[in-house]
Amino acid sequence: MTEVAEESSTGATDAGRTAAARSHLPGDPSMWFFVIGDLVIFGVYFVVYMYYRGQDHDAFLQSQAQLNLTIGTLNTVVLLTSSLFVALGTAAARGGRTADATRLFGLALVCGAVFPLLKLVEYIPKVIAGVTPGTNLFFMYYYVMTGLHLCHVLLGLVILCFVIRNLRGPAMPRISFVETGATYWHMVDILWLVLFALLYLMR
Amino acid sequence: MTDIDTAATHSATPARPARNWRKNKKLDQWLAFWIVPVFFNLFGLVFVPLSWMMPPRSPSAPQSEIVGFMQSHNLLIACVILTLTFGLAPVTNACYLTQMKRMSVSPVFRYCLIMGATTGGIVGQLFPMFCFGLGAFRPGYDPKILAMLYDFGYLAFIGSLGCFCIMWMAFGLAILLDENNILPKWLGYYTVWQYVTELIAAPVWIAKSGPFAWNGVMTFWLAMAMYVSWQIIVYVCIFRSIKNQPDDELENAWLETEPATPDSAAKADA
Amino acid sequence: MDVTTYVRNPLTYVWALLTAVTVTSWLIARDGGAAHHLNATVTVTVLLIAAVKTQLVIWHFMEVRQAPTWLKVTTTGWLIALFALLLGFYFGAA
Repeated sequence: MTEVAEESSTGATDAGRTAAARSHLPGDPSMWFFVIGDLVIFGVYFVVYMYYRGQDHDAFLQSQAQLNLTIGTLNTVVLLTSSLFVALGTAAARGGRTADATRLFGLALVCGAVFPLLKLVEYIPKVIAGVTPGTNLFFMYYYVMTGLHLCHVLLGLVILCFVIRNLRGPAMPRISFVETGATYWHMVDILWLVLFALLYLMR
Repeated sequence: MTDIDTAATHSATPARPARNWRKNKKLDQWLAFWIVPVFFNLFGLVFVPLSWMMPPRSPSAPQSEIVGFMQSHNLLIACVILTLTFGLAPVTNACYLTQMKRMSVSPVFRYCLIMGATTGGIVGQLFPMFCFGLGAFRPGYDPKILAMLYDFGYLAFIGSLGCFCIMWMAFGLAILLDENNILPKWLGYYTVWQYVTELIAAPVWIAKSGPFAWNGVMTFWLAMAMYVSWQIIVYVCIFRSIKNQPDDELENAWLETEPATPDSAAKADA
Repeated sequence: MDVTTYVRNPLTYVWALLTAVTVTSWLIARDGGAAHHLNATVTVTVLLIAAVKTQLVIWHFMEVRQAPTWLKVTTTGWLIALFALLLGFYFGAA
């Protein structure tokens, strides 16, 4: 009974995969090393940010007022949707539905590509208005942290392309590779969820 | 003759321990490798207790402090040691390259590593050496000039991130894409973090105080924590990699395997 | 491609929840936090929402729910430690 529930929750319909569904580490273990380490490193950066914010919360609050909350929220939804497509695609790949998986990852890529575009729409007016990393500590943090995250997103988009190529290729797709790429992408999503709350939402 | 020699080395008779290490086929790599702790200890000595260049002084220090530092006795000694031992840096980088040659990836990666190391070494080590050296070896400069040299030296040292970014990205990617698994995959990811912390150092050009200055929490302390642990770990991995390298994969393996011919001289020059 | 299987998928339900909660936190910040003054209620709410969202992504999208125990412990531990420290520093400074 539990196994059936597991199957439907991952979307996989193959009975043969139930044994693997329990206690399964998706993808390459070294990618998990990277993901956990990256989460810890960013976690430290987040906490240090909170500390410095506490030293000068008025300046931080006034600077936060200049952020574009709408674009921030849109970006969050964009990444969440992209993550959904990646998760669905991974399950489809595992279930042997390679054509579906390819389409789903394609959707994930298109969705994910919207993120850097929205970021440009956000950065450019600010920079033109003279709000740069040098303006104050809040904006230094804002540009550095979102910039670093943006680099992660761009790398993630490249990885998604490789996953799609793997799925479309003449050879059998390597599920481990698909899972590894998916894990990275979800990490990028998580980092943004926290960043969004810290920079845009909290008061 | 060769058989007797090998038999002697295998039986490890106390009479001939000195012959053992010279016969070691990986002698070149081991020599380069063991220079590493010497180099790093010397540099650690130079930068910390001798000159207190590290942890970095404040970018917004008053001029009198800057002048005092630039003309201090300790800085002079530090610069002398730096000038004499700077040449060891390329040797420590050579350790990476010998192992990178064994990887299945394109040579482009190790060329990037060489170029990154070279430019980084010039900008990140030579320039500060000149700047602080000028202050130490040439008394009588105007305080304003000394202040500029101080800025120049520190910014070159900490702000030369672009070169090292390329170097560590090339190394990290090479490890990750390598199908021969010369170095472990997690080291590749760890090296990518090196690149990330170098990127985070970019704001030192702008901030003169706070966490993003060249002595700041974000740009210096956290980066140092990552860097020191990474540097130690990478050399441990290189050690294991050299140790585990099969003898027939060595660059000089052809000396033993191929028969001596008149062409050998030409090959030795290659 | 049978779209229905993907729409009526537990993962999609999780996504719908995540999106709804994101929009909620946006409204809280936009309206409740419009004044851009220190506001502990808004902060605690949005941070807790972020923690819940993160946990959902880790558990369902990253499939940690079906992962070995050590991974469950590590990711949950990271989440708790991070948000505890964030809230700690927020209230510590105020």
